[in-house]
Amino acid sequence: LVHRYASIALAFLPLLLTVIIRYRFYFVLFYRAILIRIWKDCVTGLTREERAFQYVLTHATPGDPESILEAFDEWCSKVEFISNIGPKKGKILDRLLLEQRPLTVLELGTHCGYSTIRIARALPLGARLYSVEMDQRNAAIAEKIIRLAGFDDDTVELIVNPSDEVIPRLRSDYGLERLDFVFMDHWKKCYRPDLELLEGCGLLGKGSMIVADNVLFPGAPKFLRYIRKCGLYEWKIHRATLEYSRGIRDGMAELVYQGIK
Amino acid sequence: MSVSFTTGDEDEISTSEHERGKNRGKRNSNDKEKKKKGNGRRKASREREGEEDLQDRTEKREKGKKRRAKNDLDEKQPEEEDEEQVKVKNGKVAKSKKNLKNETTRKIEQEKKEEGDAEEGKSKKKKKKEEKDRGKQTEKEEEKKKKHKKETSEEDNEEEEEDEEEKEVRPESLSPEELEKLKEAVDEKKKLIQGLRGKPWPMKKKLVTLRESQEFVEKYEGALGKGKGRKLYAYKVMMTKKWMKFQRDFENFKTACIPWEMKIKEIESHFGSSVASYFIFLRWMYGINMILFGLTFGLVMVPEALMGRPYGSIPRKTVPRAEEGSAMDFAVLWDFGGYAQYSVLFYGYYNNQRSIGWLKFRMPLSYFLVGVGTVAYSYMVVIRTMARNANESGVGDDNSFNFSWKMFTSWDYLIGNPETADNKFASITTSFKEAILEEQESRKDDNIHLTRFLRVLANFLVLCCLAGSGYLIYFVVRRSQKFALDGLENHTWWERNEVNMVMSLLGMFCPMLFDVISALENYHPRVALQWQLGRIFALFLGNLYTFIIALMDEINLKREEEKVVKFNITMWEASLYNGTVSENSTASPITIHPADIPRGPCWETMVGQEFVRLIISDTMTTYITLLIGDFLRAVLVRFLNYCWCWDLEAGFPSYSEFDVSGNVLGLIFNQGMIWMGAFYAPCLPALNVLRLHVSMYLQCWAVMCCNVPQERVFKASGSNNFYMAMLLVILFLSTLPAIYTIVSIPPSFDCGPFSGKSRMFDVIQETLESDFPAWFSKVFIMVLFYIQTKIQIAFIQLAIYYLQSTSKSYKEANVELKKKLQTVTLSELHVVWILLLTFEINLCFEIRALVF
Repeated sequence: LVHRYASIALAFLPLLLTVIIRYRFYFVLFYRAILIRIWKDCVTGLTREERAFQYVLTHATPGDPESILEAFDEWCSKVEFISNIGPKKGKILDRLLLEQRPLTVLELGTHCGYSTIRIARALPLGARLYSVEMDQRNAAIAEKIIRLAGFDDDTVELIVNPSDEVIPRLRSDYGLERLDFVFMDHWKKCYRPDLELLEGCGLLGKGSMIVADNVLFPGAPKFLRYIRKCGLYEWKIHRATLEYSRGIRDGMAELVYQGIK
Repeated sequence: MSVSFTTGDEDEISTSEHERGKNRGKRNSNDKEKKKKGNGRRKASREREGEEDLQDRTEKREKGKKRRAKNDLDEKQPEEEDEEQVKVKNGKVAKSKKNLKNETTRKIEQEKKEEGDAEEGKSKKKKKKEEKDRGKQTEKEEEKKKKHKKETSEEDNEEEEEDEEEKEVRPESLSPEELEKLKEAVDEKKKLIQGLRGKPWPMKKKLVTLRESQEFVEKYEGALGKGKGRKLYAYKVMMTKKWMKFQRDFENFKTACIPWEMKIKEIESHFGSSVASYFIFLRWMYGINMILFGLTFGLVMVPEALMGRPYGSIPRKTVPRAEEGSAMDFAVLWDFGGYAQYSVLFYGYYNNQRSIGWLKFRMPLSYFLVGVGTVAYSYMVVIRTMARNANESGVGDDNSFNFSWKMFTSWDYLIGNPETADNKFASITTSFKEAILEEQESRKDDNIHLTRFLRVLANFLVLCCLAGSGYLIYFVVRRSQKFALDGLENHTWWERNEVNMVMSLLGMFCPMLFDVISALENYHPRVALQWQLGRIFALFLGNLYTFIIALMDEINLKREEEKVVKFNITMWEASLYNGTVSENSTASPITIHPADIPRGPCWETMVGQEFVRLIISDTMTTYITLLIGDFLRAVLVRFLNYCWCWDLEAGFPSYSEFDVSGNVLGLIFNQGMIWMGAFYAPCLPALNVLRLHVSMYLQCWAVMCCNVPQERVFKASGSNNFYMAMLLVILFLSTLPAIYTIVSIPPSFDCGPFSGKSRMFDVIQETLESDFPAWFSKVFIMVLFYIQTKIQIAFIQLAIYYLQSTSKSYKEANVELKKKLQTVTLSELHVVWILLLTFEINLCFEIRALVF
C-alpha cells in the first residue's frame, strides 16, 4: 500500500518543505514556549515563573535593575520563553517614557515584573507606578523581583486583582485623578474592555498615553478596530518582532488620548 | 517707438480680456474716461505710425497680430495643461478623453474666429480713425459682438436703448452693455465649466459650482440670441446637447458591450492594475479560444457529425464489444473513454472518406488545414498583439532616474479602494526605503561572498527540486504504462489518474517552495519576481516535456502493438474468407457487427485522450485549490477569529493574496497544452472555452470575496508584453512536438481521417492530384519549390515586423521627447526643478525618519 501511493505522497513533499521553512519561527516558538514548558513543569515541579525567579536570583546583582533585566533577557532567550516585553520593544517603551515623563503610571499585567522594573527605572522622581496582576502566585514572584531591584512601596504599588475590578476602584481606593501613562500587557482580549473602562471612569486626560504590547501577535484585533473607529486617540503602531524571536512580526500600539472635541 | 505701440496694444488687450470680465461694475461708471485715455494713446501711436511708410506699417500690424495670437495662446496654455492633467488621470477612460478632444477642437475653432474678428476690427478701426467717442464705442461693441459669434446685426445694436435698472431676462429690453455683460458672464461660466476638472478644489465645491454655472448658462444662453437667429441658435444648442448626450450614451453602450468590462474595472479598483491585467489577459485568451473553437467546431466536428457516416456504421465509429459494458459509466465524464472516445471529440472517430455528404465536403483535407490554420492563426495573433503592445507602451528608461520615477509615477490612479490605497501607500514608502537602502548597499558592498554563495545555493536547491519533479513525473508516466498493460480495471482511481495528479500537485506546490528558497537570495523584489517567474516557467516546461517524452514512448509501444494487430487481422480475415470460399460465391456474405471486428490501438486518440485528461485534472486542481486554499481559508479565518487565541486576520494564516504570476503562467501552460493536443482531440478548444468561461466567473468571485489586496501592489504597465513573449515561446515549444508527430510518425491504419496514408500531410498531395487540373498541381509544386526557401524567410519576416513596430515606437518616443524639450521653457523648467527638489528633500527626510 505504501508503494502504491508513494508517488502521490512525494508530490506533497514540496508543500511540506514550504510549510516547514516558511513557518519555522512559529514551530520554534511552539517548541520553546509550550513543549519545553510542559516538560520542565513535569520534571522540576515548579512553575515557569518560579524557575525564572531562581535563575534571576542566582545570576543578577540585587538592587541593580539593569542586571536583573539582563538576567531575564538571557533566561528568556537561552533557557525558556516568557512573553516579557523584551529588550527591543523595551527600548521603545523607555523612549516614550522619557519623552512623556509621567507622574502616575498604570500597568496592567505585571507577570514576572520585568516590564514593571523597566518602567519604574525610567520614571522621574516622585512618580508612582500602579501595577495590576490577576494571578496570586505570579504576583508574589513579581513582588520579590521588584523589591530585589530596589523599588519600594512608594514607587511601585502592586495590586493583586483582575483589571476589570481594579480600574473602577482606582479613583476611590487610590485617590487617582488622572493617569499619565498606561501600559497594557495582560490578556489580549481584555485590551478593549479595559480601555473603555478607563475612558468611562474618566481617568484619561488630554495627552495621556496608552501603550499596548503584542497587538499583532498574538494580536488584539478588536482593540485595534476600536481605536481606529472611535477617534478619541492619536495612534500609531511601532512595528517590531516578537520578543526573543526573530521572524515573527509583532507591534506595539501607542495611543495618545485626545478627548472629545 | 515700437515699444510704446506694443504697450498700448497690450493694454488694450488686457483690458478687453481681463478687466472686462472681472470688475464690470466698476468699469461701467468710468468706462468712457478709460476709453478716452486708451483712444488717445492709440491715436498718438497711430499718428506716429503714420509718418512711416506703408510697408513698414503693414509689417507692424502683422507683428501685432502675431502678438495678439500669442497672448491668446498664453492664456490658453494653463487651461490646456489642466486638460492634459485630466487626460493623464483618466488615461483609460476613452469617453472623457474624447469629450476633452471635442472641447479642445471647439476651443481652437473659437480662437481662430476670435483672431479673425480682431483683425477685422483693427482694419475697421483704422478707417474710422477720425471719429468721435460715440463712434468708437459702437465700433468696439461691434467687435465684441463678433467675438461672441452672435447672429445679431449691427442695426439692432444701435437701436437699443440704455436701461441699467432692468434685470429681467428679456433681451429686447436689455441695453447693449447689459447684454454684453450677460454674454461675458455666460462665457465666463462656460470657461469655468470647461476648466473645472483641473481646479484644485474639493469635490463638493466643484459639484456645486458646476451645477450653478450650468443652470446659469442654460438660463441665459437662449436669451442672448434674437428673433429668427435666436430660434435657430436655441435649436442649434439643443441639437449639440442631444448629440453630445447621444455620444456619451453610445460610448457607454460600447463599454457595456465589452464582455466582463465592469467586473474587471471593479477588480481593478480594488486590487490595482496588476490583478486586473491577469483578468484582461484571461479575456483575451478567451477570445482567441473562441476563434479556435469556431474553426474546429464549424469545419471539423459539425460536418462530420452531420454528413459523415453515423455511429455504429464502421468499426472505428463503434464502441468495441469488450468495452460496451463500461461505456456509459459515470467515469466517462472525466476519463473520456467509452462513448466519448468513439465520437467526434477524438481523432479516431473520423473516417478517411475523401468527401462526405451532398456538399462533397473534403473531410481529411479540412481536418488537416484546420489543424495547421489554428496554429498559424495563433502565431499571427500573438505576434500582432505583441507588436501593438510594443507600440503602445512608451519606451522609457526605467533605471536612470530612479527617484524621479518613483516620485512622480508610482501612484496607481485606478485604485478606488481605501485598503488598497493604504497598501499602495505603504508599498511606495517601502520602495523608497528600499531604494535608499539599495543606494547605501551599493556603496558598502561587504559580505559579497556570502550573498554570492547563498544565491548559488538557492539556484542549486531549485535545480534539485526541478530534477526531482522531472524524475517523479517520468517515473509516474512509466508506471502508468505498466498499469495500462496490466489493464486499467485492476487498479484504483488514484493509480489510474496518478500522472495528472502528480503533475498538478507539483505544479502547485513547487512554486511555493521556490518562493521560500528565493528568500535566501536577498534580491530586490522586482528582480526576485523575475527569477520566480523564470523558475516556475522552467518547472512547467520541464514537466510538460517530460510528459511528452513519456508519451512518445507510449506511442512507440502502441505502434508495436499495431503491427501485431495488423498481422492478426489479416489472419482473421483470411480464416473468415476460407470459411466462405469453400461454400462458393452463391452463399450470402457474412455480416459481422462492427463492434466485433478487431482493430488497432490508434495512438492518436490515446494522445488526445491524455491531453484531455490532463486539462480536466488541471482544471479540477485549480478550482479545488481555489475553493480550499482561498475560500475555505477565508471562511475559517473570518469566523474562527471570534474565538481564537491570536489574531487570525492580521497574523498567521490571514487571507490569501491573488498570485498574479502563478495564475498567468498556469493560463499560458494550459494554452500550450491546448495547442499541443488540439490536433488529436478536436474537442480541446471547446473544453478550454468552457474552462476559461467558468474560471472568469469563479476567479472574479474568489478575488472579490476571499482575497486581500497585495502587500506589494505594483503596476502592470509593461508586463503585458512579458506575458505575450512567454505565450509565444510556449506556442513555439508546443507546436514542435505536434509537428514532429505529424511529420515523422505514420498515422494508424484503421482510424482517423488519414488512415491508409503513409504520412498525414499526403492529404494535400492527394487533393492536388485529384481535385485540381493537372497544370494547377504542377504550378503549385513549382511555386512550392520556389517558396521552400522563403518559408524560413516568412518567420524572419514576422520577427522583422515585430522589430519594426518596436523601433517605430522608439522613434515616436524620440520625436515626442524632442517636442517636449522645445516647448518647455526655461522658467517652467525651473519651477519643475524646484518642485522636484523640495518634494524629494521632504520625502527623503520623512523616509530617513522612517528608516532610522
